[in-house]
Amino acid sequence: MNDYFNLILVIYIVAAFFSLIFSKKHQLTNLIANILSATASLSLLILTALHLIVSTSSVELLRITTSVPNISLVLKIDNLSAFFLLCLAILSMSVSIFSIGYMKHYFYRINIGLFNCLYNIFILSMILVITSSNLISFLVCWEIMSLISYALVVYEHDQPENSKAGLIYIIMTHLGTAFLIIAFMLIYVNTGSMEIASAGQLLSPYLKNILFFLFLIGFGVKAGIIPLHVWLPYAHPAALSNISALMSGIMIKTAIYGLIRFILVVLGASTVWWGVVILVLGAISAVLGIAYALIENNYKRLLAYSSIENIGIILIGLGLSFIAFANQQMTIASISLLASLFHLFNHTLFKGALFLGAGAIHYATHTKNLEDLGGLMKRMPYTGLLLLFASLAISALPPFNGFLSEWLTFQSLFQILTASNQGLKILALLIVAALAMAGAMAAACFIKFIGIAFLGLPRSESAQNCREVPIPMLAGIGLLALPCLLFGLFPQIILRLIDRITQEYFAVSISSGLKGISLITNNPLIINESGISLLSATIIGIIFFIVFYTIIRFIGRNTKERIFETWDCGFGGLNSRMQYTATGFSKPLRIVFRFLYRPKRLLWYNKEGPSPYYHSDLNYVVTTEPVFEKYFYHPLAHSLKRWARKSRFYIQTGSVHIYLLYIFLALIALLIYNWVCLTIC
Amino acid sequence: MKLLLYVFMQLVLVLLLAPLVDGIIKKIKAFSQKRKGPPLTQMYFDLYKLMKKDTVVSETASWVFRTAPYITFISTLLAFMFFPATVILHSISFQGDIILAIYLLGIGRFFMVLAGLDTGSTFGGMGSSREVMIAALIEPALIVVLITLGLIAGSTSIYDIMLLNLQGNSFILNPYSILLFAAIFLILLAETARIPVDDPSTHLELTMIHEAMLLEYSGKHLALMELASVIKQLLFITILANFFLPTGWLGSQATPMLSFLLALITYFFKVVCIALLIAIAEISTVKLRFFSVPNLAAISFALAFLGFMQFIILGR
Repeated sequence: MNDYFNLILVIYIVAAFFSLIFSKKHQLTNLIANILSATASLSLLILTALHLIVSTSSVELLRITTSVPNISLVLKIDNLSAFFLLCLAILSMSVSIFSIGYMKHYFYRINIGLFNCLYNIFILSMILVITSSNLISFLVCWEIMSLISYALVVYEHDQPENSKAGLIYIIMTHLGTAFLIIAFMLIYVNTGSMEIASAGQLLSPYLKNILFFLFLIGFGVKAGIIPLHVWLPYAHPAALSNISALMSGIMIKTAIYGLIRFILVVLGASTVWWGVVILVLGAISAVLGIAYALIENNYKRLLAYSSIENIGIILIGLGLSFIAFANQQMTIASISLLASLFHLFNHTLFKGALFLGAGAIHYATHTKNLEDLGGLMKRMPYTGLLLLFASLAISALPPFNGFLSEWLTFQSLFQILTASNQGLKILALLIVAALAMAGAMAAACFIKFIGIAFLGLPRSESAQNCREVPIPMLAGIGLLALPCLLFGLFPQIILRLIDRITQEYFAVSISSGLKGISLITNNPLIINESGISLLSATIIGIIFFIVFYTIIRFIGRNTKERIFETWDCGFGGLNSRMQYTATGFSKPLRIVFRFLYRPKRLLWYNKEGPSPYYHSDLNYVVTTEPVFEKYFYHPLAHSLKRWARKSRFYIQTGSVHIYLLYIFLALIALLIYNWVCLTIC
Repeated sequence: MKLLLYVFMQLVLVLLLAPLVDGIIKKIKAFSQKRKGPPLTQMYFDLYKLMKKDTVVSETASWVFRTAPYITFISTLLAFMFFPATVILHSISFQGDIILAIYLLGIGRFFMVLAGLDTGSTFGGMGSSREVMIAALIEPALIVVLITLGLIAGSTSIYDIMLLNLQGNSFILNPYSILLFAAIFLILLAETARIPVDDPSTHLELTMIHEAMLLEYSGKHLALMELASVIKQLLFITILANFFLPTGWLGSQATPMLSFLLALITYFFKVVCIALLIAIAEISTVKLRFFSVPNLAAISFALAFLGFMQFIILGR
């Protein structure tokens, strides 16, 4: 197993160097590098699936030690990391296949060799983050991952908005890393060890609370928890679509991995309010994330905000699991973690498919604005169908996998509702309402995405003349979108793998106890004495369809279908400008939630018309306020800058005498510190 | 085999009853306006007529427009399969989860709204945009009511909730249930496009929601969409009838056949009662301004939340 894993790492490295060496030949290097990368990912997929099925213990994969203590690279794979590697492998395999076709768009416009090199190292760095068993190597890989993803975000650096996006991203991600560094140093000071496995011992409850907040902020930035999400809606539209798919599909989930690894496993999540904090943050992220997605007209930014929503749903499951774990309700804890991890897996599939699909739309139409699209279903039928699948899945509609994980989250909330104290019950009910609202708004958001982009009349020249994308791209999207249906019908395939993790942490299987879940394939999923089987529901639905289709065809056997133009109220000449726009579609919700969006509307006339009531040319601009940036980040950055400028005048006066005084004062302070330390110890 | 029998009976029941209930509501409204109104069976004739007519499909429309009626109809029908009309019918049915049933209705809505956008007509977009707003506002209240009912019954299984209600200890006699009943009644009016939210009997472009999405449909497609919407209406009426109103006729005393008939009659009677209530609500209110609908949703959510609070404080 070790050799096999090392071979996979080597293939990624070879792919990276190959593309760097042959960077002049764009076609060749793109094809070979992506095939190599896809092969490595496929092997990783098989390896991790085998690990989850066969082995239960953690296996050491690679050990590179140095003479310096604590500086070593030790890779270990256990059930949790195997599961995250599985998600990574499925996604990166599809993305690599997609890139074979997609990157053609960028041949001889950007440096493909360097891009593919960074792409492979990016995947490699995520693998290393997930398998690192040492705090320092974790941090180093985490930083490599952040830096390379920054480089990939600003890869098209000739566009000014991309540099701005990159700047926000790198500042935010380093803010997160800073918190992680503090947390790791605190652990090292108190335990004297840099091993993740032994990091949790000997920590006082007081210190654990501090560490919890450090980890929450440190990983929360990467995960995009509101209010730490500001980088996400900038970085995703700036990056190329295959990179956005990787970033949204798996990179932000390495933060969830970090939360589980460090808060549940290392700190031992023994306090109820930790779970409550995560639960509330999750619910806020879910509702606000999708609310912002709904009013977005840049479809990649819409998907980015939707990622925040899904991270929220994942956190709801995680928070419930921590609460139940602290209350010693192991079955509930394991089912909540199951819901959370299953949603994480599902989100990797459908959000990957959606971002790749967004790449396909951009490839075909060269625009990221929903207002310029329309009518793509007729021009790109396969992309349309696959994206419809992914949209149904992300809207949590049966029989797709998204529904099942949301249903499991509802059921975990239901279990908390039946078995906890009054306060938690009320909280859980409010979370139920938030989750329901997020679900309905997600459906509205993806109706907008599909309805405006793929249906109706084309709204621009480029949408009018676009064509279906090449087969490798469709294959990449299909490899992610079709499993959404597969795992909706046969969820036990994945649930059984996640059961390994919950068994390890909570010492109970999800299938155990009265309220457990049956894990036998094809059986209905029964929990809380209420069962669902999407398989049988789908089969019955298909039978119904056949029966009723036959009956209707029989009754209407003498009827014809006539193709005619859409009803235009008798005026004639219905054109695409008369359709509902993306802005118009979300207008009712923008008005209802105006306290949240704070929309501003500007209307001005360029030319006077024949009468004051008729204007020949007018401009209409509607903007919404980025609340968090305006009321939190901007004042913060502003006051920080002002404070820095002021203090510079006081501290850096330019007089050498003052600087000598500083050195003297520092010396005195150190002497006093040393003396205090010596007398106390 | 038993499953087939159940599905068949439930199908016959819904296909017979759903248009009839719509007819009953129309008839009551007509009485209140001193009109004679259409005969109770009018909708069957309408549907049959529509199915025998040619269909017109917009040249802009894609395959989504053609398949949406089937998907909407089938998913609504499938959702209704989870709501056995009587407990006796349940003994041969399959497990049904309340959240699954609601999300199945969600699929129907998803495709109906997409179909509204597919023809490129302004009306379709208008209806779709309004429909998703109402859905987003109503959904939290609906799920909160259903989860609270599940909490009372100890499970989100539709059968368990129904059984607890029908076994003598009827929900409607409890104070919290009156609140939940009121909440879900408001949701019913919104979900089935009834008067304070939408007017099913007009085609005025300024106000229509549900009808605007269906404006481009004709022939068998329209028939399916209409049938789906009355089935959805019957589904919500069944939730009220079987989850709140008493007397289920569990059928242990009499012969199976007789008790089954009696159970069906009680179910029918309860459905007519709720239909009467809907008609009264429609007669006695006017259509709300569209942006007042959030208030209705808020009232419904508040009622549901108060019901829940009362349940956890007072207990069953």
